[in-house]
Amino acid sequence: MKASRFILTVLLSTSLSTGAMAADVVKIAITGPFSGGSAPMGISMRDGAKLAISQINQNGGINVGGTRMKIELIERDDEGKNDRGALVAQEISSMGDISAVIGTVNTGVAVMGDKYYVEKGIVKIITPAAGSASMTQWSKAGTKDLPIFRFAAHDGIQAQMVVEQATRLGLKKVAILHDATNYGVSGRDDLIEQIKKQGGKLKVVAIEKFAIGDKDMTGQLIKAKVSGAQGILLWGIGPELAAVASGKEKLGFKVPMIGGWTLSMSNFIDTAGAAGNGALMPQTFIEDESIQRARPFIQAYHKAYGVAKIPSPVSAAQGYDATMLLAEAIHEAGSTKPTQIKASLENLKTTVKGAIADWKKPWSKWDPQNVETHEAFRRGNTVMGKVMNGRVVLANPSEKVVLEGKRVK
Amino acid sequence: MNAEFLALAQMAVGGGLMGMAYALVAYGFQLTYAAGKAVNFGQGELVMLGAFTGLSLIGIGLPYWAAVPVAMVAGAALGWFVERAAVRLALQQRNEGWILLTIIVGLFGVSAAENIWGRDDKPFPVPWPEGALEFFGISVTWPELAIASGALGIMALVELAKRYTMLGIAVQAVSADPDAAELCGIRSKSAISLSWAVSGAAAAFAGTIIAPVTTVGPTMAAALTLKAFSVAVVAGLDSGFGLVLAGIALGSAENLSGFLLGSGWREAPGLILLILALALRPQGIFGKKIIRKV
Repeated sequence: MKASRFILTVLLSTSLSTGAMAADVVKIAITGPFSGGSAPMGISMRDGAKLAISQINQNGGINVGGTRMKIELIERDDEGKNDRGALVAQEISSMGDISAVIGTVNTGVAVMGDKYYVEKGIVKIITPAAGSASMTQWSKAGTKDLPIFRFAAHDGIQAQMVVEQATRLGLKKVAILHDATNYGVSGRDDLIEQIKKQGGKLKVVAIEKFAIGDKDMTGQLIKAKVSGAQGILLWGIGPELAAVASGKEKLGFKVPMIGGWTLSMSNFIDTAGAAGNGALMPQTFIEDESIQRARPFIQAYHKAYGVAKIPSPVSAAQGYDATMLLAEAIHEAGSTKPTQIKASLENLKTTVKGAIADWKKPWSKWDPQNVETHEAFRRGNTVMGKVMNGRVVLANPSEKVVLEGKRVK
Repeated sequence: MNAEFLALAQMAVGGGLMGMAYALVAYGFQLTYAAGKAVNFGQGELVMLGAFTGLSLIGIGLPYWAAVPVAMVAGAALGWFVERAAVRLALQQRNEGWILLTIIVGLFGVSAAENIWGRDDKPFPVPWPEGALEFFGISVTWPELAIASGALGIMALVELAKRYTMLGIAVQAVSADPDAAELCGIRSKSAISLSWAVSGAAAAFAGTIIAPVTTVGPTMAAALTLKAFSVAVVAGLDSGFGLVLAGIALGSAENLSGFLLGSGWREAPGLILLILALALRPQGIFGKKIIRKV
């Protein structure tokens, strides 16, 4: 009896003390795949965001209406699976005291889970998921008031760049290879649409799909080869992209490979090895310390996590900048209430200096007719990267000014 | 040769070489079935654990040639463990509990691998040269050749040992008639344990030669057990030669159907082959019909 009373007192006092603490912290959730095929992106995004949080907390936290509040972090692994992602979103949206969510790598997870945040009005910044569907689902539904923002170069921009690059290389006939997920299928559609938009200079001679987990792409590649493709446009994630690269090597099918930014995933670069060299993909950030703006972030990341190479530099930098933008929005809102944070994200007054760019009012009031209102990146923010001996470097050195300069939209 | 035919030939050859891997895993079924009339439905997981063990050994600096035998020893230990932990008791009680128990041990293996090595697929480094060889316009990679030659080599080695060593002959005696073997002074329990250990070693070896092609991950073997079992059933559970043919046929059929009908249909021929074999020739194409005298 006595023992149970003691336990009860302890329980009560601890719950009271956390209750008291909750008053002067801002709770932010980070979700993403921290295991599975998309883990390099999820982990880098999380670690980039955590780096920002620890810097903010070391400086005393966010000034919210006169009180300094530290950021408290909740992390959830969605394993890159749609159903798991939906459960995570349900859990976080029912916690009641979460101010905002950052994350999601897999477009399917955003499509399945984000409705729970929208129902509760919880602010979410999607990064680095790039699939068009995660924003267009809201414009199609005509949602009036949207607390979902994106901080990534969406597939529309990426497909545009891929097609531009293919044209720049002088290709006439291309094959499209894509995975059978939401991401791959919508990427394929974006590519086809972009080819039309850019005047139909490219002819698509083969469209082939593959499943997650496929290791042998010879069949798809033979069809591409036989149809006379001079280049392969790719939409998928790391492990399968690596299988495409090694299949190409095996068949001696030496044509350029251009695809979504997933070609910069470490599990593509490491698994493909030499076969991956020369693969081209859009990037918002390049891990190159000779870029003045990027250097402090790259060095801080290497030091904080004891690595010489960021698994997914784009995800890490986007996680970092998104967190900085969110912190600024919470400060400007003077409140930890999601509705007020949303309003200030839509109208940021101060320019935030990030690892990627100086962000001056990246988002504006949501307009269901125009998804761009909640998209932070434009074509002008993005450069072409190229895999070279285990790293991603600039494909067109002239684009260094984009990464260096003040990429104000 | 026209391009269409060359493409088909390429698909068939690539599939056939991978099919040797199915044959090797199926050979593991055959070994334990011959001796103890039970098979390990967690055989694919032993393949996966063998591959991961090999990867870790290479990770700590062992060369490939040394890592493979050590991984095989680990595989042998695991095979022996599965027999002692999951199979022996069930067989002594003359029930089919071993089916479920070997599956459960396999699932434990997956959980252990996820916790030890993580859920991600990892590349498996090999000392073979990069790039591919060409025969009559058909490309073959070194890791694929390693699968074929490794599988044939190990199977030949075990078959020879079965025929020409005392231990091998003892195991064969037990598989023919355990009671009579006991009367001749052979400990049939030890002989069965031995066959499980050899089966485990073969699985681990399979892991180290498949992984360079498929990468290593906890789920790499999920479909392998089923495919290898199809091969074993189609070929019959007592023909080593039949396994190789059935393995090649299944691998090629998979690749061709994936190529001709679309990648979603890859798995179909294996299942159709299994159903046909069970319906038309349950003892297997190369199997001997066992007539039970009552």
